[in-house]
Amino acid sequence: MNNKVDLSINLGNLQLKNPVMPASGTFDIRDTILNKEQLNSLGAIITKSIASHKRLGNPGPRIWETEAGMMNAVGIPAEGFEYFKENILPLLEDFCVPIIVSMVGDSITDFCQLAKKLDNFEKISALEINLSCPNLNDGLYFGTNKDVLGDLIYQLKKNTGKVVMAKLSPNVTDITEMALTAEEAGADIIIIANTFLGMAIDSEKLIPRLGNKVGGISGPGIRPIIVRMIWEASQRVKIPIVGVGGITSTRDALEMFLAGASAVQVGSANFSNPYVMLNIIEGIAGYLNKKKYKSVKDIVGLIK
Amino acid sequence: MKSAENKPLFVTGKVLENRNINGDYFEIVIEAPDIARNARPGQFVMLSRWNINNLFLKRPFSFYQIDAEQGRFAILYKKIGKGTEILSQSKKADQVELIGSCGNGFSLPENVGKIALVARGIGVATLLPLAIEGKKKGLEIYSFLSAREKNLLLGPDKLGPLSSHIFYTTDDDWKGTDGKVTFFLEELLKNNRTDFEAVYVCGSKRLARHIRELQKEYHFAAYISLEERMGCGIGACKGCVINTIYGYQRVCKEGPVFPLEEVILNE
Ligand SMILES: Cc1cc2nc3c(=O)[nH]c(=O)nc-3n(C[C@H](O)[C@H](O)[C@H](O)COP(=O)(O)OP(=O)(O)OC[C@H]3O[C@@H](n4cnc5c(N)ncnc54)[C@H](O)[C@@H]3O)c2cc1C
Ligand SMILES: Cc1cc2nc3c(=O)[nH]c(=O)nc-3n(C[C@H](O)[C@H](O)[C@H](O)COP(=O)(O)O)c2cc1C
Ligand code: FES
Repeated sequence: MNNKVDLSINLGNLQLKNPVMPASGTFDIRDTILNKEQLNSLGAIITKSIASHKRLGNPGPRIWETEAGMMNAVGIPAEGFEYFKENILPLLEDFCVPIIVSMVGDSITDFCQLAKKLDNFEKISALEINLSCPNLNDGLYFGTNKDVLGDLIYQLKKNTGKVVMAKLSPNVTDITEMALTAEEAGADIIIIANTFLGMAIDSEKLIPRLGNKVGGISGPGIRPIIVRMIWEASQRVKIPIVGVGGITSTRDALEMFLAGASAVQVGSANFSNPYVMLNIIEGIAGYLNKKKYKSVKDIVGLIK
Repeated sequence: MKSAENKPLFVTGKVLENRNINGDYFEIVIEAPDIARNARPGQFVMLSRWNINNLFLKRPFSFYQIDAEQGRFAILYKKIGKGTEILSQSKKADQVELIGSCGNGFSLPENVGKIALVARGIGVATLLPLAIEGKKKGLEIYSFLSAREKNLLLGPDKLGPLSSHIFYTTDDDWKGTDGKVTFFLEELLKNNRTDFEAVYVCGSKRLARHIRELQKEYHFAAYISLEERMGCGIGACKGCVINTIYGYQRVCKEGPVFPLEEVILNE
C-alpha cells in the first residue's frame, strides 16, 4: 500500500531514493546495528567528519544527558585522510546509496586540500562541510562569521567537482544571512544545523560536566529552534535545505519538510533507537498515503 | 584479549523478576534469548525502560548472571538517578529495550591456577560471571570485596561458594588494612608467595592503582573493567573514551575490559 507514494527527492544533483539519512558523528559504518540491506534502504550514508591529519578529540567526559536530549563534547577525533582512504572508504564501496563525506579543517587551505583529495574518489557523491569548527588562523568559527564562511565555500568549490553541502552552525543571530552567504558562495545544499553550544556544571564536585567544559546540544529540545530556522531560511534561499536537530519520530521529520526542508538527517536519536531512521522512512510513506499526497516533494515548504 | 565478539543486537526483553536486595540495590532478571545466548562475562547491555522523550539515552549495565540455555540474564544495579529509579519500579512481564551484548569481555588465563577478583561496591556485579566461568574451568578463585559499610557488601553469598578464599574491608571497619582490601592481596603475594595467573578489578580506581603497583613488582596479568558515560554503547558516537597509553579508547568498544597496564589511571 505504501509503495504507491514517491519518496525520492533531488537535492540539486544529488538524487536520493528517500529523504532520510544519518547525521554525521552519530553513525559509523564500522559500528552500526543495521545490516547491509537496512543500510541500503537509507537515503544516503554519511561519515563522521574527517580531517586531513589525525585529531585526538576532547578529553572525557564527552557526553551529558539533558532534560530534552544531550550534550556532546567529542570534538572531532579522526584518523586522518590516509586512514580514511585505506580503512573506511573500502567499506563504503559495497553500498548502492549516495555516500556523503563530512569534513572539517583548520584553515581554508586545509579544507581545500582535503576536498581536492576526496575529489578523486568516484564513490563519494557529496562533501558535507562541517562549519562548526574554528579557523586556526584567526580563531573565528567558519560557521559564525559570514566572511570566513563565504570565502571557505567559494574556495572549496574551486577545488572539487562534488556536490558541496554547507552544514551551518545554529550559533548565530541570523541563520538566513548565513544560508544566503553559503548559497552565493556556490554551495549546492544547505544543512540546518549543527549543535547549539551549551554548558552544564556539577554543583557537588564544582566542575563542568564535560571534559571540554562546553559542548553541543542535540536532541528534541533544539527541534523547535531548528524548525524555525529552516522556515526562515527557506523563505529566501533557493537551493535545497536539509533539516537536522532533534528528530526522534516521523512527526518530527514531517515538521521539517513542512517548514521547507527537502530531506532530513537523524542524529542522536539513533543511540536510543538504532531503527529510528527505518521507522521514519516507513512513517513518511504512511503519512503521505493517509493524506493522499503522491510524493514527499508535495509537502516540502507547505507552511508559508 | 580483544577477541572478535558478536555484533550487538537491538531487541525487546521481558522482565521476569525485579527485587530489592538491600538499600538501593536491586536485581533484575530479563528474558532476551538472542542476547543471553552470546553474552560473555565482562560484557554489558544498553537498557531502557522508558520512552526517548522521557530519558533520552539508554543506560549501560553489566551482566551479573548469564543463563544462555534459559535465554535470560540478571543485572545487579544501584538506584542512583532517574534511569535506575524508573528501572527499580519494574514488574514481572514489563518490557525493556536492549542493545547487546556490547563490548569486549574478560578472558581467562590459559593455565589452570589461581585468579584474584577485586571489587568495590557494585563492581562485584561485573565480576560474578567471571567467577562462575573460572570455577567451571577449574581455576582457584580468591575474592577481595570492599564497600562503604558492612551491610553494603555485595556478593559474599554468591561469590563465597565459588571462592577458595574471600577477604573484605569496609570503610567503617578497616581491619588494619589502611582501608584497602588489596592489602590482603599484597600480603599473599609478599608473605605467602602466592602466584596469581591473573588479577581482575572493577569498581575502584584507587584499588586499581594499588594493584598496578603490585603488578610492577610481582608481574601478574591484570585487567580492569571501566565505566564511562555512554551515548550509543556500540562504538558509533566516540563519547565514552578513557585515556590509555595508546591514546583515547572507547569503553564500549575497545573495553570495558582493558589490560590494567594500558590504562592511565591518575585522573
Ligand atoms: C560498562 C558499564 C557497566 C555498568 N554496569 C553497571 C551495573 O552492573 N550495575 C549498576 O548499578 N551500574 C552499572 N553501571 C553504571 C550505570 O550505567 C549508571 O549507574 C546508570 O547509567 C545511572 O543512570 P541513572 O539514570 O540512574 O543516573 P543519572 O540520573 O544519569 O545520574 C545520577 C548521578 O549519578 C552519576 N552517574 C551516572 N552514571 C554514572 C557512572 N557510570 N559512573 C559514575 N557516576 C555516574 C551522575 O553523574 C549523576 O550525578 C555501568 C556502567 C558502565 C559504563
Ligand atoms: C556524539 C555526536 C557527535 C557528532 N559529531 C559530529 C561531526 O563529527 N560532524 C558534524 O558535522 N556533526 C556532528 N554532530 C552533530 C550532528 O550531526 C547533528 O547535527 C546534531 O546532533 C543535531 O541532530 P540531532 O538532534 O538529531 O542529534 C555530532 C553529534 C553528536 C551527538
Ligand atoms: S558510547 Fe558511543 S562510542 Fe562508546
